[in-house]
Amino acid sequence: MQNQPKLASQTGTKTRRSSHTTQEWLDELLLIAPASILLFTFLILPFFMAGYLSFTDERLVPRPIPTEFVGLQNYIAVMKDPEFWQAFRNTAWFALLVVPFQCAISLACALLLNSELPFRSLFRSVSLLPLVTPMTVIAVIWAALYRIPDGFMNNILHLFGMEGYIDWLGDSKFAMPAIVLLSAWATFPFQMLIFLAGLQDIPMERYEAAKIDGAGPWQMFRYVTLPGLRNTNIFILIITTLQAFKLFTQVDILTHGGPLGSTNTLVRYMVQEGYTAQQVGYASAVAVVFVILVGAFAILQRVLLKNE
Amino acid sequence: MKKLSIALLTATLALSAAHAKQITVWVIDGDSERPYFLQLQDAFNKANEKKGLTAKIVPVPSINDAIQSGFLSGKLPDVFMLDGPNMANYAWSGQLAPLDSYFSKGTLSDILPAIKDQGTYSPDGKLYAMSPYDSSVLLWGNKKYLQEAGVRIPKNLKDAWTLKEFEDALQKLSKVKGVTWPLDLKLNYTGEWLSYGFSPFLQACGADLINRKTWKATGTINSDAAVDILEHLQSWAKNKWVVPASAGDNRFYGDKTAALVWVGNWMWRAHKEGLKDDLVLIPAPKFCGNKQVSPNGGWSYAIPKVSPNKAEAGAFIDFAMSSKQVALYSDTTGYVPARKSAIRLSKLYGKGGEGAIMAEQSAKIAVVRPVHPAYPVISKSFGDAVLNILNGANIKSELDKAAKAIDQDIAANKGYPPFNK
Repeated sequence: MQNQPKLASQTGTKTRRSSHTTQEWLDELLLIAPASILLFTFLILPFFMAGYLSFTDERLVPRPIPTEFVGLQNYIAVMKDPEFWQAFRNTAWFALLVVPFQCAISLACALLLNSELPFRSLFRSVSLLPLVTPMTVIAVIWAALYRIPDGFMNNILHLFGMEGYIDWLGDSKFAMPAIVLLSAWATFPFQMLIFLAGLQDIPMERYEAAKIDGAGPWQMFRYVTLPGLRNTNIFILIITTLQAFKLFTQVDILTHGGPLGSTNTLVRYMVQEGYTAQQVGYASAVAVVFVILVGAFAILQRVLLKNE
Repeated sequence: MKKLSIALLTATLALSAAHAKQITVWVIDGDSERPYFLQLQDAFNKANEKKGLTAKIVPVPSINDAIQSGFLSGKLPDVFMLDGPNMANYAWSGQLAPLDSYFSKGTLSDILPAIKDQGTYSPDGKLYAMSPYDSSVLLWGNKKYLQEAGVRIPKNLKDAWTLKEFEDALQKLSKVKGVTWPLDLKLNYTGEWLSYGFSPFLQACGADLINRKTWKATGTINSDAAVDILEHLQSWAKNKWVVPASAGDNRFYGDKTAALVWVGNWMWRAHKEGLKDDLVLIPAPKFCGNKQVSPNGGWSYAIPKVSPNKAEAGAFIDFAMSSKQVALYSDTTGYVPARKSAIRLSKLYGKGGEGAIMAEQSAKIAVVRPVHPAYPVISKSFGDAVLNILNGANIKSELDKAAKAIDQDIAANKGYPPFNK
């Protein structure tokens, strides 16, 4: 609040502001035009198109009978479809599992890489490898790790004396946790990078002060690092949750939503309805519901975090 | 003199350029098909040199998606390959041009009936798609394991296993040392495989994916006959006789932990390389009484209605469907040739050939997938049901769900006129 008058004086007085010439306006418009056009074409327009299509019975391939306005019929059908609700529950369950898990891994790795580790830069680059590997490739590699009866994961369990094998991807008890493990591994470096930046933003003086006060490593983490990362935490929590809602590639390649729909997600459900079954109108309704759900979730999260 | 010759040269070039025409052809992008298409492009261009007609053949990965987006954007080649069962949907949508006029009577009478069925759209009886090959699904066996289990190995369609014999064989094979799973049903595949590979179970027992007269799924896909036979299928999975999806692709021909596999001829090479002389081809079992069915069909050539070069495109398909080209396609890829004359020419599929059983299946027990515009939904619904049933879901309720989804789609499209007549 104190800064505001200062800012105003820096940008100029009221008179100077009103002298914002037509030329300046045009220049500004010109500058924001490329971004606005892209935003409009690829974000705003498709959303409104989906909104419009969701009230019709539009199909993927053009057809000889005209597309009709069907009112709320698609929405009612979506709400009545148990598969949609199963996909919704699965997606929420995935987010619930993956968010804390992934945040913990990435924070731990960030702390490690921020310490006085030998070969620190080497580790930093190596830990980014999952991030530069396409998800499709990662999924195929992990399929081999999860393979039964002799994949890597089962071999590890055999080392600990387990007999038989676990069908990681084919057993509805294990399929989702297996996907969670893979997803957390595949995308944690992104959060780690942000944590790393956040860690380096914490002033060294605070640690020094804590040291003088006789704080141990845990106390430093608890009372210096964590409070210092507050804003980073909020950002990462929201980003990771939104990412979790978009789960698709791994599931589509590894389990195809199975077994018995236990790993089907909202995005995969939408793609199946819109593409495989060619029902674009119906899939658009799913998309709109999806956007509303995710939007509501993001807002809720923000509100809760602000109150804290 | 020099100037004159240059002038002449440019004049001839300009003249030929006026006549020259290049058509574009989208084909499937597969390792085994690629050498064939390279050859086809060269052969066609050579044969049409004088006419100045050339074809540019482009292998397109995920060609199904490419075609669907092509329909929406209007950007399509002059010829493309589509998966046979999708033809009806595209023809109904008015996206395809009929092919009849481009083939001679001799060619048409030489083509396998099932291939013609697959390409014929019933409302107008015209051909909209033509496949150079037919595919078939049968059982491939590891002779060593079968002998150890003391199981009779059928040699031709007539003495195929009955369902009881087949289940007995699975039981015995499960005891053989080295066999982890007696049967591989290729559950690592998805999409079309599920309806293609498993609809014969229904069809052999008097059920089907949809009633082909009334075009209603309820009462057919979820009939008692369908439930009964799928109960058998489910019991094999429950007995742990079936290779689970997460066990990968190569259990039969790679580490040989599976003794039998139900899959199509595209796996021939892999099987042959992996098992050598131990590989045996076993005809489709008699799933119900004396009845046996195998699926058929394949990727077919079609001409989009928007192509401005239909005559040239037709000439190209006619060329690609010549006996010689069809035989070459089969030799390169291992599929059953779509022409009777080419089957006779083929070493693999002719009388006494290693693949004679497959050719016999294609000719005698193959049932074409429903040629109906709702096929994409029929296939997805049945595929989902089969996968869930194999994972232990309630059979009747899964099939009821599929029947409902199919009938709802048909109703939502007003019965896909003129199919509603």
